[in-house]
Amino acid sequence: MAKEIGRLKPTIGEHLNYCGVSRRSFLQLCTALMVTAPVGLSLTQKANAWQVAQTIGKAKRPSVIWLHFQDCTGCSETLLRTSRPDVADLILNVISLDYHETLMAASGAQAEAALKQAVAENFGKFVLVVEGSIPTKAQGQYMKLAGRPALEILKDLGPKSAAIVSMGSCASWGGLPSSGPNPTGALGVDSIVKEKPVVNIPGCPPNPYNLLAVVLEYATMGRLPALDELNRPKFAFDRYIHDHCPRRAHFDAGRFVKQFGDEGHREGWCLYKMGCKGPVTHASCSTRHFNEIPDVWPIGVGSPCVGCTEKAVAFEVPIFEVADIHAATPPEALPLINTRVGTIGTAAAAMVGAIAGGIGGAALMASKRLPGKQAMAENEDEEKIPPAGRE
Amino acid sequence: MAMTRREALRKLTTGTASVVATGAAGGAALSGVAVSEEKPQVRPEALGLLYDATRCVGCQSCVAACAKANNLAPDMRVNGLHQIAYDLNSTTKNIIKLYKPADGRSYSYVKQQCMHCVDPACVAGCMFKALKKDSPTGVVTWTAKLCVGCRYCEIACPYHIPKFQWEGFNPKIVKCELCKERLAKGDQPACTEVCPKNAVIFGNRGELLTEAKRRIGESPAKYFENRVYGEYEAGGTQVLYLSAVPFQNLGLPDLPEESVPQKYLKWQKRVYSYLAVPAVLYASMVGVIRGNWKEHLEHMEKDEEETGLRPQL
Amino acid sequence: MIQKWERAVPVCEVPIWTRPFQVLCGLGALAVGLVTYRELAGLGPASGMNDAYAWGIWKTFNTMTLTGLGSGGFAVGIAAWLFRRNHLHVVMRTALLTSFLAYLSGLMLLGVDVGRPWNFYWILTPWRWNVHSPLLEVAFCMPVYAMVPLLLENVPPVLDWVYEKQPQYRELVKRAEKVMVRFYPWIVGLAYLLPAMHQSSLGALMLLGGDRVDPLWQTPWLPLLYLWAAAFMGFSCVAGTLLFCSLMWKRPIDLSILSEMNRITAGLIGWWLAFRFADLMVRGQLLTAFRANIYAALFWIEVLFLVAAVFMLRDSARQRDARLMFHAHLVAAVGGMLYRFNPTTLAFQPRPGAFYFPTPVELLISVGFVSLAIAGFVFAAKVLAILPAPMRLWYRMEGVTEKVAVFPGHAEEREYAAGD
Repeated sequence: MAKEIGRLKPTIGEHLNYCGVSRRSFLQLCTALMVTAPVGLSLTQKANAWQVAQTIGKAKRPSVIWLHFQDCTGCSETLLRTSRPDVADLILNVISLDYHETLMAASGAQAEAALKQAVAENFGKFVLVVEGSIPTKAQGQYMKLAGRPALEILKDLGPKSAAIVSMGSCASWGGLPSSGPNPTGALGVDSIVKEKPVVNIPGCPPNPYNLLAVVLEYATMGRLPALDELNRPKFAFDRYIHDHCPRRAHFDAGRFVKQFGDEGHREGWCLYKMGCKGPVTHASCSTRHFNEIPDVWPIGVGSPCVGCTEKAVAFEVPIFEVADIHAATPPEALPLINTRVGTIGTAAAAMVGAIAGGIGGAALMASKRLPGKQAMAENEDEEKIPPAGRE
Repeated sequence: MAMTRREALRKLTTGTASVVATGAAGGAALSGVAVSEEKPQVRPEALGLLYDATRCVGCQSCVAACAKANNLAPDMRVNGLHQIAYDLNSTTKNIIKLYKPADGRSYSYVKQQCMHCVDPACVAGCMFKALKKDSPTGVVTWTAKLCVGCRYCEIACPYHIPKFQWEGFNPKIVKCELCKERLAKGDQPACTEVCPKNAVIFGNRGELLTEAKRRIGESPAKYFENRVYGEYEAGGTQVLYLSAVPFQNLGLPDLPEESVPQKYLKWQKRVYSYLAVPAVLYASMVGVIRGNWKEHLEHMEKDEEETGLRPQL
Repeated sequence: MIQKWERAVPVCEVPIWTRPFQVLCGLGALAVGLVTYRELAGLGPASGMNDAYAWGIWKTFNTMTLTGLGSGGFAVGIAAWLFRRNHLHVVMRTALLTSFLAYLSGLMLLGVDVGRPWNFYWILTPWRWNVHSPLLEVAFCMPVYAMVPLLLENVPPVLDWVYEKQPQYRELVKRAEKVMVRFYPWIVGLAYLLPAMHQSSLGALMLLGGDRVDPLWQTPWLPLLYLWAAAFMGFSCVAGTLLFCSLMWKRPIDLSILSEMNRITAGLIGWWLAFRFADLMVRGQLLTAFRANIYAALFWIEVLFLVAAVFMLRDSARQRDARLMFHAHLVAAVGGMLYRFNPTTLAFQPRPGAFYFPTPVELLISVGFVSLAIAGFVFAAKVLAILPAPMRLWYRMEGVTEKVAVFPGHAEEREYAAGD
């Protein structure tokens, strides 16, 4: 797919020009990138989209080799499921997708040759995007491409790349194939390749703009964005869905959907009680929706988040099981100046009554046997004063 | 038993002498104590807060910031979802409450936390000085290793601030300590740093008082009774309040100018000062008892002779 | 020969392990088990205490109120030793034992009540003390009192028992008694100084409650009123105990001694009431006693009990009516307990909306510790010579004939058959 003008590789700007992509479309893409990563990405730390476009325009098209392993190809689809065809085209023109099994025209031996050529031409400079997990049991026999196990392919190509991007949850930490009992021993890329920097972009599928931002950052700035302890780019994964959720006000006010289709569901209330994993899931979906249409994302269309980016949540916790909240915040309602505290339990009240009555009653009853005035008066004769208890 | 004149004289002298001695010692003690009963002074470097209820919007950022800065687990006992505390408690050192009158118009928020009194009742009652006023800031802090968990501070505090951890076997007393760790690093307390409206600000108590009075001067009809709460209440507090609604509606009690210890522990201090009164009392009692003891021993000996039984002490 | 209490005699005719004793021990064991629960789960689950009412019934009832009842050793002792009411010496052992057990039970429950008892060792470092804290005074004075003078004063009956039952230690006992005789006035003096200090400090505790204690109770004279109440409560407890024990174990009653105790108690209560009302008037709070609310009602109930007690005490002494005496002391004790308990809980309103009621676990622990004290008394009274009795009971116990000195130099023998 790479087109050459003369013998020099063109810059992105030149290539877009050549392809006839409108300037307007390109600027729109740059704006979209700034929205995707308002912070945490040096590429987008510019005053306006124009400056971003200039930076990208000057860079060479980054060579991207895309490998598929135990995948469903959803992560590729997410790149293509744009609302308007030219955006997908645009993405594919900004990066130089040199090998992609689903999208390339070649197949069989031709495809293999293309891969070899792409690796050779861009040795140490291409970005390796991996989609799908890598099976490791039985020497990795569960997924083979052209007779080679995925494990071997990755160990071969990984060290030859400049950086590896794990696209999707499967490549990031094992994804669906790794859910219990993980019969194939599916693992994420960073469990296998240790020598190269790996950027994980989990999600099932993730937002394509996250991938684009990472790749372009590398292409334009020569570095990868700041990553968290799970190697996820901070600009997208440093917050819970819950923190930026548009339905948060409903959560704070206690307005919850109790049943799909009920009044609250129609009103767009919080889906926490339907099992939404927003409070425990790091992702950018609440601010960056899908398909370039606002509110096209799970919660936006009324389906609780399933936590597809988190290893501990995605295929572990049942979809409709309510999540634990670890970082609670004050609600909208405020306590009054004096609230009631302390109650009286019936058992306790009964007990106090019994004790008081019991002791008092017993004492009074017993005291009847004490000699009264009468008994004392009758027995002024000292010897005959009866001891207590005998009348 | 009939007394000889000598015995009577001796007893009379002992009795009078002890009464006079007690009186003298008491007088000496009282005069010695007078010096320490001066009104407690605000330290010049006292730190405090100024909370202006008219600026507060009830956003509760201070509640969340306080919980974060003090590593307090959110109190989710009410519904398991939200950090809801109805009052200060063992996981809540700072809280915003709402005063909502029946007419729904003149409402106000109020921030509740330790008042860091100038002469705190909690410090006066604490047995081993687990609660004490730090020098020179005057912040009232709690030390775990000295606290016995007697909860006298909860009884004594007129603002009902110290709270106790009622669950578990290592309970603590929990209250605002003006983020003493942050202060040590030169930062502000978390609540004042995060407040978006500067409704609560931090600084030297004297300066805050000046600022409060300046605000009152600027808007004469705005603030309740044109005064600052905490200037004199119970001897003065280092946390000051300004409000448009009556302070009592915000849960700030109407307290006299004398501090609680000053007002209520006066006689306790006097009677026990130098242990003079107890010592003299003891001496006189022993004197009287010794006299009676000799008599008692004689009685016991006589009974022993008569009955042949061992005397019962 | 009027029925006279002359000597302390153990209650030998009654077996120790009776049904009531079993019940008391059972309640005590239950309480100890529940205390384990309180230590593990914390004070919250085991009691109804909350941040508004931080002191439940353990501190306020078992320690502050019941040790008032347990001031018998102090009150009767002062009457006997300082005011030379020598007839009261024979009931001193009963008074001292009730005091000791009440204090022991109250102090143990105080240990259960504090949240961080492992830090109590600071009591041994006086330079760390906050000397102005009334609670510190209590925390130091009460254990010292219970463990030093009160304990020592309770040692003689044990020495007597050792002398009788363990003849090999007789020399040791004689030496111990010699030491005691030497230092007795100093011990006894301490036994009056320390309670004077801490019973008044118990009153001073609620001073820090400020105006959250209803003005009908809150007064600078609270320490003195508490101390004075302890005095008459102590008398009532001792007299009531004597009457009840005589009833239970069929012992003779000495009405002259009891009448004297009645008169003293009535005098103490009477002047106490006068002082209380004078204090109310001086503080200008007399009218608050006529509000139509619960505090005024509590106040008048207290006063009613105590006024009734005064009359009942006087009448029963005059009419030599043992039953009325018992009721009188009961009423006086209840009135005194109400007075000491009210400012801590019932008349204490920390803030609007606050409420407290003990939980069943809390109540059972409180009752259980009281049962332990009573069981201890019952056990001691049966084994040791505590309760006073006429000499013939002593002789009956020893199974000897009595040598009665009819007039000096002439003795007559009289034999006592069983059942006399």
